[in-house]
Amino acid sequence: MSGAATGAVRTRLRAVFADAGVTGQLHALDLDSGAEVGIGADSLVSTASTHKLCLAVTVQRLADTKALDPTEQVEVPVDGRTPGGTGVAMLRDPVRMSLRDLLALALTVSDNAAADVLYDRVGLAGVNRAMTELGLTRTLAVHTGRDLLATIDEDCGGDQARLLVDPGLTTRLRVLDPERTNRSTPRELTRLLAALWHDEACTPERAAELRSMLAHQVWPHRLASGFPFDDVRVSGKTGTLPTLRHEVGVVEYPDGGRYAVAVFTRAARTAANQPAADAAIGTAARLAVESLRVPPGRGA
Amino acid sequence: MDLIKHVRYFVAVAEEGHFGRAAARLGMAQPSLSQRIQRLEREYGVRLFDRTSRGAELTEGGRLMLAEARPLLERADALEGMAARVRSGAAGLLRAAVPPELDSAVVAALVSGFREGSPGVRLELRERGAQAQLAELAAGSLDAGVLRHPVDVAGLALGEVMSRPLGAVVPDDGSAPAGPLALGELTGRDLVLFPRPSGPALHDEILATCRRHGFEPGTVIAGRDPAFVTGMVLSGTAVAFAPREREVPAGAVWRELAGAPLLERVSSAWLRSRQGDPAVELFAAVVEAALAEYGGMIPVAQTVAAGRLGAPVPRLGFTV
Repeated sequence: MSGAATGAVRTRLRAVFADAGVTGQLHALDLDSGAEVGIGADSLVSTASTHKLCLAVTVQRLADTKALDPTEQVEVPVDGRTPGGTGVAMLRDPVRMSLRDLLALALTVSDNAAADVLYDRVGLAGVNRAMTELGLTRTLAVHTGRDLLATIDEDCGGDQARLLVDPGLTTRLRVLDPERTNRSTPRELTRLLAALWHDEACTPERAAELRSMLAHQVWPHRLASGFPFDDVRVSGKTGTLPTLRHEVGVVEYPDGGRYAVAVFTRAARTAANQPAADAAIGTAARLAVESLRVPPGRGA
Repeated sequence: MDLIKHVRYFVAVAEEGHFGRAAARLGMAQPSLSQRIQRLEREYGVRLFDRTSRGAELTEGGRLMLAEARPLLERADALEGMAARVRSGAAGLLRAAVPPELDSAVVAALVSGFREGSPGVRLELRERGAQAQLAELAAGSLDAGVLRHPVDVAGLALGEVMSRPLGAVVPDDGSAPAGPLALGELTGRDLVLFPRPSGPALHDEILATCRRHGFEPGTVIAGRDPAFVTGMVLSGTAVAFAPREREVPAGAVWRELAGAPLLERVSSAWLRSRQGDPAVELFAAVVEAALAEYGGMIPVAQTVAAGRLGAPVPRLGFTV
């Protein structure tokens, strides 16, 4: 793509974000040609739950080296369970489940409790080591899910409702400051997705297992909303914190075209329910992907 | 070697992916740009680009270097901005902005308050919308601003966030108003609201609140000029939102909204890196005092403590 065309796409992407009342960063990468387009692709972002993708890759790599057994059954008692609105996190009774099933819940419904069982098992240092091995030097986990929720509570003085009306509080939340929370860059996360799709992040069987989990993620409102085409597959992992809405994933077309996309947004409004901001992630991703696709008749 | 200049060349070539286009953008000859990139590569002992028939592709090493180069340029720009400030009048100037909607009494109090508080520092005040203020703050051409929330506050520090309820300006039909007006009673009327592109988030927030309380405007009319807004209200079919302090024209009347569902929030703002600058701190204090005294505003924390939340609490948590 010519420089002028890239510039035009970036202008349109910025307009999509602005119209939705958000500031956006994005990196889209053609998994086969290496063509790319980005906005703020190398600036740090607070990753929120998209970091569960790093956790998942780490779990698979440790399974590859037999450092853990994915079929091992673990007890997840009610006491000490990380809270959340989905999966084990919202259940009321003790649960016994395999590590790989916990992983499936952590990815498909962003289950905070399941993810923290895995974080506790592999350690933050383990996740960071795996990312370094994959060449992701700016991707860093400093919090488990429960630590992350605890800092929000501390920073709000125990009253999260204040977040909705006091913008000053938003500026003081550690989880929104990439220097002080789990972090990465859009480009590093598309690079991680590329490694996963190229079977370079773990063994092909375990990579396929992860790709399948990502394809079965339940949320349709972000990345997938930009591709309402039944023959296009969208696999992804969302991330959400006050004012933050993210999704990283891969879009696959029936003609073989496949694109890793990482979209990170920050809304001016603190409201939790902002459908237009969610949909902007899909719209921006589609514009970016379309700019990378070779128009029919011009293919090699 | 002028490192910053060479790094700028490097980033331009990386962004354009092509020496010719980067040279055109930089307004220099391509061979000269090529030589400088080679110079930079020699300096670091790292090959930054693969020269191909399609252009210049970043090497893996170049990609890693690019990640460090961009923040370096941002800091260099900040340094340049600081130098310009120092040159243009030592610490003697504070470049600040206020939004167009700010009450004139507040603006007047702000200017005189600053003058009294700091005889040594001159306040250069301009009128700017929120988006322009954010851009200028980031670029370093503005030292402090006054923002109507919500806006993206990443990277900013805020002064005390002040709040006041908005009411409705409706045509005066002569009947004595019986207490506060429920927002839902306005349903079917047209609403005059500032143009959405000038503040999409605030625009969306106001409309979401209207709908949440049963007011679905017939038409949302984009307008912010006081004469136009007044004209539409006086025409009899439209309403507008305004604080109690705003002057109401003859033929229209200001009505309090039941439950204060709409909250106007305003604060001063500056780059977090300017935290602790005495002139900025004075500005923040003066803005807070002017908003309180002439705008009838109270700290948003007090509004929260009084249980008068402008926004509902989400049913579920945020994190997914």
